[in-house]
Amino acid sequence: MSNSILVVGGGFSGLTAAIEAAELGHDVYIVEKTPYLGGRVAQLSKYFPKLCPPSCGLEIQFQRIRKNPRIKFFTQAQLVALTGKKGNYTATVSVAPRYVAAHNVDFTLLASSLEGEKNNDFELGLAKEKPLYKSMPFAFPGRFVLAPEALSAADKAKLAGNKFINLAEEAKTVELNIGAIVVATGWQPYDVTKLTNLGAGSVKNCVSNMQVERMASPFGPTGGAIVRPTDKRTPANIAFVQCAGSRDQNHLDYCSYICCMATLKQCLYLAEQNSDIQITVYYIDLRTPGRYVKVLDKVKALPNVHFVKGKVANAVQAEGDTVSLQVEDAVRGEKLTVTYDMVVLATGMQPSLATEKLPFALPLDEDGFVAGGEEAGIFAAGCARMPLDVMRSAQSGTAAALKAVQTVKGR
Amino acid sequence: MAQTKLQPDMEFVRELQAAGGDSLKKCFQCATCSVACPMSPANNPYPRKEMVWASWGLKDKLEKDIDIWLCHNCGNCADLCPRGARPADMMAAARNMVYKDLMKPSIIGKWMSSAKGLPFLFAIPAVLWLFVWWIMSLVNGGQWFPRAEDGRIVFGQIFYGDYTIDPIFMITFFGALFIILKGAMKLWQQLKPEGTLLLIGKDQPWYYHLYDLVLDEILLHKKFADCKSGPATGVKTPQRQLSHMLLFYSFCILAFVTAVVAGGHWLGKIWPAIAVHTPLPFFNPIKLAANLGAVMLLVGLGMLTVRRIRLNPKYQSSSFQDWYLLGLIWCIGLTGVLAQSFRLMDFAPPAFFIYYLHLVFVWMLFAYLPWSKLGHLVYRTTALIFARKYGRG
Repeated sequence: MSNSILVVGGGFSGLTAAIEAAELGHDVYIVEKTPYLGGRVAQLSKYFPKLCPPSCGLEIQFQRIRKNPRIKFFTQAQLVALTGKKGNYTATVSVAPRYVAAHNVDFTLLASSLEGEKNNDFELGLAKEKPLYKSMPFAFPGRFVLAPEALSAADKAKLAGNKFINLAEEAKTVELNIGAIVVATGWQPYDVTKLTNLGAGSVKNCVSNMQVERMASPFGPTGGAIVRPTDKRTPANIAFVQCAGSRDQNHLDYCSYICCMATLKQCLYLAEQNSDIQITVYYIDLRTPGRYVKVLDKVKALPNVHFVKGKVANAVQAEGDTVSLQVEDAVRGEKLTVTYDMVVLATGMQPSLATEKLPFALPLDEDGFVAGGEEAGIFAAGCARMPLDVMRSAQSGTAAALKAVQTVKGR
Repeated sequence: MAQTKLQPDMEFVRELQAAGGDSLKKCFQCATCSVACPMSPANNPYPRKEMVWASWGLKDKLEKDIDIWLCHNCGNCADLCPRGARPADMMAAARNMVYKDLMKPSIIGKWMSSAKGLPFLFAIPAVLWLFVWWIMSLVNGGQWFPRAEDGRIVFGQIFYGDYTIDPIFMITFFGALFIILKGAMKLWQQLKPEGTLLLIGKDQPWYYHLYDLVLDEILLHKKFADCKSGPATGVKTPQRQLSHMLLFYSFCILAFVTAVVAGGHWLGKIWPAIAVHTPLPFFNPIKLAANLGAVMLLVGLGMLTVRRIRLNPKYQSSSFQDWYLLGLIWCIGLTGVLAQSFRLMDFAPPAFFIYYLHLVFVWMLFAYLPWSKLGHLVYRTTALIFARKYGRG
């Protein structure tokens, strides 16, 4: 029997669950797939409810982790096997090599001298990066990562003698004895290439809402300016396509809950950056749960934001790398064909478990959200359970932690 | 501001659902469908507005709607519909409602709207032709399956052309034609808005637009091809232009052949020089045309049937009217072929019985034309002439 708790996923809900359980006196292990903790929140420019930068809320969580010896975390790690039963599980975790020394060496200069380049996953296709990288300034752990497959021969020769880099490092396997599990595997932006009538990701200057977050971020690929990816020009007009793949039986059959709010937030970013910009939001209906309706009022009061009821059903490339949208204004009964400098697809949240499988049986609903497992001491938190904003993710993390604690305590 | 109270007509909604629009309540008015349809005009596009009318049961709005006739049922709207509300099926159901309600006796329209009416539809010609059979059996000395003097099976002994088949079918055909043309005029009045309509440009008579319509749309079935120019749906659209065209031209050829043979027969009695005597030799151009028409009919019918069988019920389905028409044409073709086969194989009872069924089915095709989906060849043409005259579509 074990009183320890395993948390799968190091995003906001997973971190919250881990910290809450640890602060109640339990040993907690976090298994995170990417090289850094923070998950999707770390990619946002600002987040609800207070529109603070992610470094703010995450910094507090990271401090609590640093100060709490009961929390151990593995990055670039994956749960590969789970045996046993509730109260006494053995979890096998595979940890990929990071190739860099265990302490926070600053490789900035060395990285900039490398020849190789790779796609920057953190920047969602908006930028390239060196194969030796740190995704964000406030990254935790603050260690660089090396991606040896992207190194040129000269790069390899250059790194071979570096005493802080070990190109021969191998993957490790760790076995953990735990009593309960919190599944906080989170979400991924819905794959735009599936949206055939919205250009399937091939229309230039038609970006996703998460890409706008990266652009708006001060340490993002454009240094905080929301610009057209093709010519780095500030758009004079921009359109938001709501429900791009959400509430749609051919894509995500549910409301992603957060895209309306994300769009309203991004309207504020845009209006702040350029007071002359013309913004049009095409929607089916705007969902602003609870007190968030105040944000809608705030955005509606802006003179340059227009709301049009009607779902965009066709997006094609137009002259000058602009984007032409077709939509019926359902209030006026007019089919419009309008061209914009830039278009944002407000894509929804797809649970990661819809495409990535866990190494143990866990009941999922038809959309890939966790729909059970509590009798086996497995509790879902955050967007693995349902689409949530950051605040509610944190709440659900706490809830899952309490349930996990009650399980290992045996009540 | 004047307030209007909207009273949903739930009875009409249920009828629409039964006529093929059973998913219409799933619609949440996102307006994807209006964009998905490349034929839908920019001003007051369809089918989103029809979907909300249908939800509220606004019968008069749908009856007067020209747009249900502009729709060629390609299903792009249904492929992109996020809720599976199947707007294409609802548009087809709205057309079915016009077939059902436009002309009297309305009981026929009611029978035509569900499988429950099929026994009645079948019984009328079944009794009619049985009566003919009974009378003619008395003429043939009480024999129900008589043989000619040389021992051959001759259908004409029972179903004698000049006195039974021709008069019955002429009355039926011209009667149905009369009703459907009256229906076309009624539809025109229905589509026409109240009061006067200001037309910009030269006002052309209806036959000018008919000529234009035939040349521009019907001859090459151009609108079926236009269906493909909409937004990418990611769903493969089956071939409809070719199959519908095959069927359409086979009907034209067969109608022409029938007219030549019947006209030659009857007018030949007055003016023997143009008389046509059946059976025609195989290489007679009329006979060749008839066989070509038959082959085209079978191929087109087969393609359309396969398409309907393969429809994904998530996006599109077939109503009773759809299957009634396809099934009836199949029945006519099959009983025609089988009757001839049994006659050549010298099995008198099945030959006569199948031939009897053949007459029943052909009668059904003609007599119920004004209430069936096949009526679209007049009703849709009327609506499309209207659309051209008043500048829509």
